[in-house]
Amino acid sequence: MNKKRLTWLIIILLIVIIQFIPNRKPEVILSNENDLIYNNKLPESVENILRTSCYDCHSNESKYPWYSYIAPVSWLVVRDIKVGREELNFSEWESQSKMDKAKNIDKIIDEVSEGNMPMPIYTLMHSEAKLSEDARQQFADWADNYAESLFE
Amino acid sequence: MKKYSILIIVIAMGFMFVNFNIEEINIPQEEVKTDSAIYYVPADVLQIIDKSCYGCHNSESKNIKGKGKLKFDKMSELKLYKQVGKLTDIADVVKSGDMPNKKFKKNYPDRMPTDEEQERLISWATDLAKQLTPPE
Repeated sequence: MNKKRLTWLIIILLIVIIQFIPNRKPEVILSNENDLIYNNKLPESVENILRTSCYDCHSNESKYPWYSYIAPVSWLVVRDIKVGREELNFSEWESQSKMDKAKNIDKIIDEVSEGNMPMPIYTLMHSEAKLSEDARQQFADWADNYAESLFE
Repeated sequence: MKKYSILIIVIAMGFMFVNFNIEEINIPQEEVKTDSAIYYVPADVLQIIDKSCYGCHNSESKNIKGKGKLKFDKMSELKLYKQVGKLTDIADVVKSGDMPNKKFKKNYPDRMPTDEEQERLISWATDLAKQLTPPE
């Protein structure tokens, strides 16, 4: 067996082996009584943005793509969803205090306006999740109005 | 005589906690809700902010990231919910130990807030945020 073939064999073997490393995916729950969309009448455009650009990582309704079943990509997906839900989970939106809602809306507006969210690595694989400048503005305006209405 | 000296001590202690007004930190009062209203920050809290936070979190700061997230001197210009959001976040990041950040800790160890100072800052920010928030 020549060197090149051996290298390939090792690589393939490694890929097969890492598939057996446990990597538990965050659970998918489709019905959440404290969900933001479920509890509020949102403009359709805003609901669409939330569902296509945010909800995969920031809700319990994550949709796992095919590559999320294959290591090592699956590790990245699982980590991003775990961290995303920890930071902000729209499925549990109504269970927070008004103070936390204010904090989160303030952060959401910053992240979306500055273009940090959705993350580039996410939109790379989900081109439909990319937000235009208009969409960002529209979303930020809605968030601002929504938070203001909580403080009237 | 003893009665009087106790009274004097009580009054003197009262003065120690008198809040004084400083232009840098003007958070509108809930009752007034105008941009010109000034919220009185307790002197001890002000001292902590000045020592450990204000260096980065002011509108003249060279720390773009710090300035972008929080400017104490422009707080009163924010909408009420944003003020509450910032105060809630202040309490959160101090509690989690994310702020002051590692760089500050390394460069200014003498300006790190003590545990009691952190507690004070957290309770001040939380109480004020609660006070400014309408009932659920």
